[in-house]
Amino acid sequence: MIGVWARGLLGARQGRLFGAMLGVGLTVGLIAAVGSFTASAGSTMTARAIRDVPVDWQIELLPDADKTAVTEALKNAASPTAMETVGYADTGGFKAVTGQTEQATGAGKVLGLPPGYREAFPGQVRLLVGSLEGVLIAQQTAANLNVGVGDAVSIERPGLAPAQVAVVGVVSLPNADSTFQGIGLPKGAAPQAPPDNVLILPLAQWHALFDPQRAARPGSVREQLHVRLSHAGLEQDPGRAFLQVERMANNLEARVAGSALIADNLAARLAGARADALYARVLFLFLGVPGILLAGLFTVAVATSGVARRRREEALLRTRGASSAQLMQLAGVEAVVIGAGGMLAGLALAALAALAWWQPAMLGAALPWVLVAALGGVALAALGILLPAWRTARLSTVVASRGGGLRAPAPLWQQLFVDVALLALAALVFWAIARTGYEVIVAPEGVPQTSVHYEAFLAPLALWIGASLLVMRLTRIVLDRGRGAVARLLAPLAGGLAPVVAAALARQRDLIARGVALVTLAFAFAVSTAVFNSTYEAQALVDAQLTNGADVTVSGSTAAPAGRLLRKLASLPGVAAAEPMMHRYAYVGTDLQDLYGIDPRAIGRATPMSDAYFGGMSASEALAKLAARPDGVLVSEETVQTFQLQPGDLLNLRLQSAIDNKYHVVPFHYIGIAREFPTAPKDSFLVANASYVARMTATDASEVVLLRAAGNPEPVAAAARALAASVPGAQVTTLGEAQQIISSTLTSIDLRGLTALELGFAALMVAGVTGLILLLGLSERRRSFTILAALGARPPQLGAFLWSEALLVVVPGAVCGIGLGFAIAAVLVKLLSGVFDPPPEALTVPWAYLAAIGAAAVLCTAGAVHVMLTLARKPDPLALRREYS
Amino acid sequence: MVTPLVEATDIARRFQLAGQAVHALRPASFRVLRGDRIALVGPSGSGKSTLLQLIADLDTPSAGTLAWPALGTSGTLRPEKIGMVFQASSLLPMLDLAENVALPLLLAGRTEGSRERALQALESVGLASLADKLPEELSGGQAQRVGIARALVARPNLILADEPTGQLDSVTAQHVLDALLAALEGTDAALVVSTHDRSIAARLRSIWRMDHGRLQAQAQPATEAVA
Repeated sequence: MIGVWARGLLGARQGRLFGAMLGVGLTVGLIAAVGSFTASAGSTMTARAIRDVPVDWQIELLPDADKTAVTEALKNAASPTAMETVGYADTGGFKAVTGQTEQATGAGKVLGLPPGYREAFPGQVRLLVGSLEGVLIAQQTAANLNVGVGDAVSIERPGLAPAQVAVVGVVSLPNADSTFQGIGLPKGAAPQAPPDNVLILPLAQWHALFDPQRAARPGSVREQLHVRLSHAGLEQDPGRAFLQVERMANNLEARVAGSALIADNLAARLAGARADALYARVLFLFLGVPGILLAGLFTVAVATSGVARRRREEALLRTRGASSAQLMQLAGVEAVVIGAGGMLAGLALAALAALAWWQPAMLGAALPWVLVAALGGVALAALGILLPAWRTARLSTVVASRGGGLRAPAPLWQQLFVDVALLALAALVFWAIARTGYEVIVAPEGVPQTSVHYEAFLAPLALWIGASLLVMRLTRIVLDRGRGAVARLLAPLAGGLAPVVAAALARQRDLIARGVALVTLAFAFAVSTAVFNSTYEAQALVDAQLTNGADVTVSGSTAAPAGRLLRKLASLPGVAAAEPMMHRYAYVGTDLQDLYGIDPRAIGRATPMSDAYFGGMSASEALAKLAARPDGVLVSEETVQTFQLQPGDLLNLRLQSAIDNKYHVVPFHYIGIAREFPTAPKDSFLVANASYVARMTATDASEVVLLRAAGNPEPVAAAARALAASVPGAQVTTLGEAQQIISSTLTSIDLRGLTALELGFAALMVAGVTGLILLLGLSERRRSFTILAALGARPPQLGAFLWSEALLVVVPGAVCGIGLGFAIAAVLVKLLSGVFDPPPEALTVPWAYLAAIGAAAVLCTAGAVHVMLTLARKPDPLALRREYS
Repeated sequence: MVTPLVEATDIARRFQLAGQAVHALRPASFRVLRGDRIALVGPSGSGKSTLLQLIADLDTPSAGTLAWPALGTSGTLRPEKIGMVFQASSLLPMLDLAENVALPLLLAGRTEGSRERALQALESVGLASLADKLPEELSGGQAQRVGIARALVARPNLILADEPTGQLDSVTAQHVLDALLAALEGTDAALVVSTHDRSIAARLRSIWRMDHGRLQAQAQPATEAVA
């Protein structure tokens, strides 16, 4: 009997089986593919984090430590692939005499680097001018002392006579924060700022100068072992890799207790990657789960669209003596066919997605997801087929089981106002989050633990479910109580049949309401995903622009400023705008901060000025204020708090004068807060009028030129590089390079694969819901349309029935879905605002994609109606002789 | 001379089934006149439904000429000129009985007073009190009576009923036929009923027999069949 039934299914119900398999396949494929993304994103983050760590471990040797013993312990505890000794010496400061003037700095550090250090740790020292073979001076120190290649610098040594060295190169230290970090500080202690003044000596020379200082002042001279570890055996998951590395460090600490202290840069970076992995998981939950739920609903909708037919078949079988168990067995055959077919299709889809967007090697990591997806697909098929069959089997009479339930009461959720309660909950959670401004992901600096505030998910989830239930409620109410209005609305389409069509739709309000809700969800998913992704991409670009400054940035020094190339740079092909910007240093009290001198009226031509850059006012207001007050200065929030500043307060800064190269007090007035600024560091900085800075420092040198490209920035950058070759130490960077470098924020997570998958899937869902579900729903009532045709309905009259139903499902569903999609996207962006840097000012709308989705919906709806109209136009005589067909 | 409602000359209907030609109706000629009460009898598969569908303009003959001289041309006959009663319940499940019955009027564009006329038609089959019910709330016999009301509501000149009592018990079947004949009483509408129930056929004035696609004879009912 089961074999006969299965053959009958495959022979006569291919369309419905195919539709249900498609739904299951999409669900399985999406779970597996999104899971693969999460797994591969974690692996990618681990790989990136490991790759970018300049020095894995810094082991500080305590006084009287046995370096050989520590080295042996290190080899036993871990697998070092490179290890170099680095000297650190404190100095009272540096002095230099250039021309007629003498410059002096505050306290500084002198590093001693062994010969092979730069080969072992290539990212640590970057040459700007001169040679690397000899004494090197940090860029900022060189600016403070006004020295360059060939100049002499005097090093103040506590307890000893100053030592003279000759500078052979000017360098930058990209990882100064970690290089000069305090080691052995208690957990939670504030991180130490790197020194303002740094000199680097060859290790032998360093020993010659500072071994005597060590004898005189032991605490002022230290040695560290800089270590690179083998990364071969590290786990792929950043969380597990973090634990692995931390345990290795603990092991070493136990071995060298009393002899050395360890700064575990690798674990710190992995902790950051672990936070990024959590962000990826959050994105999975926010973006992937709604899609999976939608696919599940789609599958159930496809499966249950045949429930009336199945009920009649079961009623027939029961009249012929079939038991409930036998009916369930037969339904099980259908569930197995759909589940197995859908599972295979879904796994194939996921494999294709993985091959297209991720490395196939990652499939291993994604295996648990694949298994979950496969089981989910089978469960979904069972849910869609077996549950209705079981409910039918429980009905007491054959007559009852034949009923269509057109007079069924409102569902329980509607009577209990679950939809309203969910929307209220969503509003409450969202309000609480927006009011307190807490972030979904908590990753405090210096604390390894990272956690997710999962309760924040209640807002979009409750909004999603509540809004779709509300749409169902409203659809039912409108169709039931607003029958007259619906008839008037349909009159242009249905003419004299409009009241009957409205009556038919009213009696099918449950079916229609489910269809509208499904279309709403499909559109909401597509719109929210597309809008969120577009906003995300736009913010990633803003982030990169913030880091790089503009499409192309040419950076020089005060001695050799990029601004001298301004005119030539502005006339390069492809340059839409070129604006100079000063990058100086200024002392705020004893704190040396970056100072940016701009023309506030013109800076926006070369780089976008976001409102998020400024506190308490918009970008245009802030720049207008600065333009109106020549001695105005925008400062960081930290500086405002430290110095208790009020708008209009005098703020005396010390800037280096070009006349005597010494720092002099220059009066400024505080006018507002700058939170971010192109090329500026994350912490404290200052923004002032370039003209005022030029007047007070006796030099109008603009160290930086920002270029906005009319098209692709790369050719502009190439041409700028050719020009910049004439300026010593000048560097040209592009937006694309910045995008590659940014690696610590959410926007660094590569969403392309997930985005493509989700957007493609969303389009399929919209097409499936508007096309397949509609077609299956209509085909379930094919006999009704056949009867209409047999009674004498003309094609336009049949079309009135079909189009009315289709439009009543698709149009309100699409409108509600688009509105809900925007609302969900806004909630997502608000919830995740902490991970955008800077937060977006508005949603970015991908109009082309939305238009494509709309077009797909229109085409699929028209296709479904056309197919049904074609089938119904010519009455099927056989159908008229059967009670159903 | 009386203009026939239907005039068929050597019409035949042939299907291709699995590469084989199936003669559902072999060449037949006949006329249906106003006021005719015809029973089309024959075993299952003899071609009764095929013949009715051809007359109803639901199908097209493979050969011969079929015309509706007093009714009109193909494509203009339903629902105003020809009313149909189908073998199985053919009510639209999402419309109540009054709406179901009013459908032919609405399809014909006669919306004015359509509900009142539908109620009258339901009254004529004794179901006016159930006008607001849905088809799923009816018994099989009631559903067929509503089908009859729907076939009559536009006052067509020709009623075609394809096994209208085929799924009913004999008592209910007689009641349904009673309703049909009563509703037609006093009109000159012709009635063609296909049936394999001899007691039903016996109550009509003419009997047309079909066997293996052949329309064999056109005869008056036998006296013994009435008994």
